[in-house]
Amino acid sequence: MQNISRIYALSKRNIILRYKNSLVGFFWGFFKPLLYLLIFIAIFSKIPSNHIDNYILYVTSGLIFWFFFSNVTNQSVGSIISSAGLIKSLNIPVLFFPLSEILSELFNFILTILVFLVVMHWFGITYSFRLLLILPCVLLFSLFSLGITLFLSAINVFFRDVGILWGTIQPAIFYLTPIGYREDLVPPFIVQFNPIYYFIKLGRTIFHESEVPSAMLWMQCICISFGMYIVGAFVFNKLKNQFISTI
Amino acid sequence: MTKERLISFENVSVSYWQNNMGIHSIKDLVTTRRNPFQSKPILKNISFDVCKGESLGVLGRNGSGKSTLLRTIAGLVKPQEGKITIDGTFAPILAIGAGLELELSGYENMELLLSLYGKARKNTNAIQNIVDFSELSDEVLRMPAKRYSSGMLARLAFSISIANEADILIIDEVLAVGDQGFQLKCMDKIYKIKSEGKTILFVSHAPSEVLKICETAILLDNGQIVHQGSAKEICAMYEQLF
Repeated sequence: MQNISRIYALSKRNIILRYKNSLVGFFWGFFKPLLYLLIFIAIFSKIPSNHIDNYILYVTSGLIFWFFFSNVTNQSVGSIISSAGLIKSLNIPVLFFPLSEILSELFNFILTILVFLVVMHWFGITYSFRLLLILPCVLLFSLFSLGITLFLSAINVFFRDVGILWGTIQPAIFYLTPIGYREDLVPPFIVQFNPIYYFIKLGRTIFHESEVPSAMLWMQCICISFGMYIVGAFVFNKLKNQFISTI
Repeated sequence: MTKERLISFENVSVSYWQNNMGIHSIKDLVTTRRNPFQSKPILKNISFDVCKGESLGVLGRNGSGKSTLLRTIAGLVKPQEGKITIDGTFAPILAIGAGLELELSGYENMELLLSLYGKARKNTNAIQNIVDFSELSDEVLRMPAKRYSSGMLARLAFSISIANEADILIIDEVLAVGDQGFQLKCMDKIYKIKSEGKTILFVSHAPSEVLKICETAILLDNGQIVHQGSAKEICAMYEQLF
């Protein structure tokens, strides 16, 4: 219980810090996906072999997932370094720092999904109880993101290059994930080995195809997210006792 | 009367990883293929006991491992060897400014640190105590902490630190930057905490302060305890170091 209020306090700090001194704060979160949506509409929707029904719904449902992932990892890759002062003065588990970053971003993500659900009314979404399946989907994706975050933030303490490198390769991952174009336009072996693809496909099946995702796809997402979490937590635990000597 | 042991260290050693190649870079790791980190011992074979109600001074040159020792006691650093037994709760160590979030206001910092410390979130009583003790005005406390002077930061940090009513108070040179009025006030408060039977661990470079607060002291040099004994003895030795 005490730990829950600690994580809550840290998440709240993250949200306050992120929007401090900015005029429209939270709404900047919509600006970035919107810009990418316009790029996709202006360029990729013109490609003849890229014909998709309800194109805007297709792109946006991918974009909101991508930007959750991208924001989470970018915010939290440096979370341990930037909280050096607290880590050096209070005896609380270091895990709480990346975890609180995920939670504050998750709060944003859920608000974004709510706005998305309303706006997509005009772009062909069909409302039914099926949409509730998005909750387990978001949870799995968060677990996957937590795994990546633990891995990156732990290594980043010792090699600051990781944070820079991660920012650099992100656009590559973005374009190798079929977000604004059909899956068959990306080489199949790349799609298969892109873990993010499975989560985006899961979300898109619910939002765009208006179907219940297959058990196979759920299993794939469950395996990827738990696998990534285990790897991340293992690396983090191996290194966490030495964080304080380097930050 | 048998004394109750609060802190007990048995042959504790702590080492830090140190990057000895200067550049934090993956490139070096790939090209030279050796572990870029070396283990550097910071504390070697430390043994001491602190009993309930006793106050311990920690003296030593810069870089002798004083802060690491305090962090080890507070559980922030895990020792590689040895055994630590602790029987009590800690107030956060707030060395000058560390632990305060500079972008947040004074009030937000109080709330954050109180809840991280495990106090109820809206503990108005605790917040009022901090405000009263720090003597900072409402206007100042609404400003982001980055605009505080170092004395104001020390006031805020010390006030939050003592608001937690822990069994063990760790003071790491926080008193050095406050003005004279605040320093006197802090010393008074420390005496009061001490008279309540709580334990104080005190790091300072002013032997006169250590003498006032502590009965026993240890002198650290190069990560080892060179001497431990009564505060008077140790302070005299400390002065002879220079």
